[in-house]
Amino acid sequence: MRMKYVLSEVLVGLWRNVTMTIAMIITMAVSLFMLGGSGLLFQKVGDMKDLYYENVQVSIFLKTDVSDQQRTDLDTKLKSDPLVKEVTYVNKDEAYNRFKQMYADAPDLVNAVKPDQLPESFRLTLKNPEQYKSIYDQYKDSEGVDEIVDQSKLLDKVFGVLTGIQNFALAIAIVMAAAALLLVANTIQVAAYSKRREVAVMKLVGASNWFIQAPFVLEAVVAGLIGSILGLIALIGVKLVAGGGSLAALEGLITPISWSDILLTFPLMAAVGGLVSAVTGWVTLRFYLRV
Amino acid sequence: MTKTYPKASRPSLDSVSVSIEKGEFVFFIGPSGSGKSTIIKMLLHEVTPNKGRIIVNGKDVTSMRSWKRPAFRRSIGCVFQDFRLLPNRTAYENVAFALEVIGKTKAVARRVVPEVLELVGLGGKEHRYPHELSGGEQQRVAVARAFVNRPLILLADEPTGNLDPDTSIEIMRLLDRINRTGTTVVMVTHDSNIVNQMRRRVVEIESGRIVRDQHRGVYG
Repeated sequence: MRMKYVLSEVLVGLWRNVTMTIAMIITMAVSLFMLGGSGLLFQKVGDMKDLYYENVQVSIFLKTDVSDQQRTDLDTKLKSDPLVKEVTYVNKDEAYNRFKQMYADAPDLVNAVKPDQLPESFRLTLKNPEQYKSIYDQYKDSEGVDEIVDQSKLLDKVFGVLTGIQNFALAIAIVMAAAALLLVANTIQVAAYSKRREVAVMKLVGASNWFIQAPFVLEAVVAGLIGSILGLIALIGVKLVAGGGSLAALEGLITPISWSDILLTFPLMAAVGGLVSAVTGWVTLRFYLRV
Repeated sequence: MTKTYPKASRPSLDSVSVSIEKGEFVFFIGPSGSGKSTIIKMLLHEVTPNKGRIIVNGKDVTSMRSWKRPAFRRSIGCVFQDFRLLPNRTAYENVAFALEVIGKTKAVARRVVPEVLELVGLGGKEHRYPHELSGGEQQRVAVARAFVNRPLILLADEPTGNLDPDTSIEIMRLLDRINRTGTTVVMVTHDSNIVNQMRRRVVEIESGRIVRDQHRGVYG
């Protein structure tokens, strides 16, 4: 009977103040959607870093007037360098072929460039991509070296952008969470006010504290859980739209977000939504009802 | 015991010491602001004294933790001047509510509530709403609600304050009947008529001090 009473009180409470309930659920949903999104992004960025940095290469471009002696010296030095995993030498012809491939859709550009205008280079794969700096210091003044280019510099920029997006989503999640929190507090106050007579009688005749508080706290928790479900639906919606349309082109670049990834964020969203609501509700009641 | 409210220039109750036996009927009288309602609040553990101790049913409740308060209040019934009934519930539901929120089943309520409504003289009016009842009848519902759990103590804070003299007498008869079942009744009032008619123990309080404690006393 008591459970039934508490549950019916929860439903009545949510319905009595339905506009506020909807506002609470929407802010909750947006906040949790952003939280889930930033969680997914965090996970993906981690995956992508592993994948990309493993294949990252450092290119040492040689001067056009480099002598055979200098080239051979550099080659032996690189091959015996403990930091280097693999060395490939790319001569002018190969460089030109790569260039042609890369700009196949701009024949004018390709025609304007002659094979001997392109620099020869060594392409290095490092044992640990983060040791780029010491390679750079070691070889930048070697004879015949024109320029050293590290792909991870470029990756850093890409990941910088992704991390930026992730932080932005997280910031929105936090701001929306603050709004949701205030709405929960307000909704509970309104609910407690509209039931002040019942609460007074319950306190007087000795109803237990949990029994007085449970309907209010559960009201907030139910709203939080509905919010997290809506957040999940929003994430699924983004995946459907993105998978089918605009972002499909990036499929090769960004590791795809699988359904299981999305579904696995749901427990996180539901837990945060439910817990934050419950704690806010409970704290509000402590101040407002003094039970 | 002594109770000083914050920001008050003098204590609401100043070194008051009263002992009430089980089954007694006691009036606390005195002008407004004399501190008599504070006694009720302390017995309910709504306020705690700054000094001294409060012992109820043989237990020291002075520094009782607030989570124990609900269980403590189940042994105390309480009636107020303004009845404090729930307007959207019938007489029956108002009394049953008090049982159900402390975990009693509907079956228990169905057995006990009609009995206690009969006792307070509301047989046949179980399904009226408070606004369909007279003031006296509403107070009877409140008494029924306070008594339905068979408390050891019944506190009444000016229970006749909103009632005409005849109705007041009826409520007093009811409280007297409840007292005869062995329930201790503590009543705060400034209705001299009633005190004079009942001829019970009278404790008079003025400016937070006891100025008289008399068995079979009158108002003044």
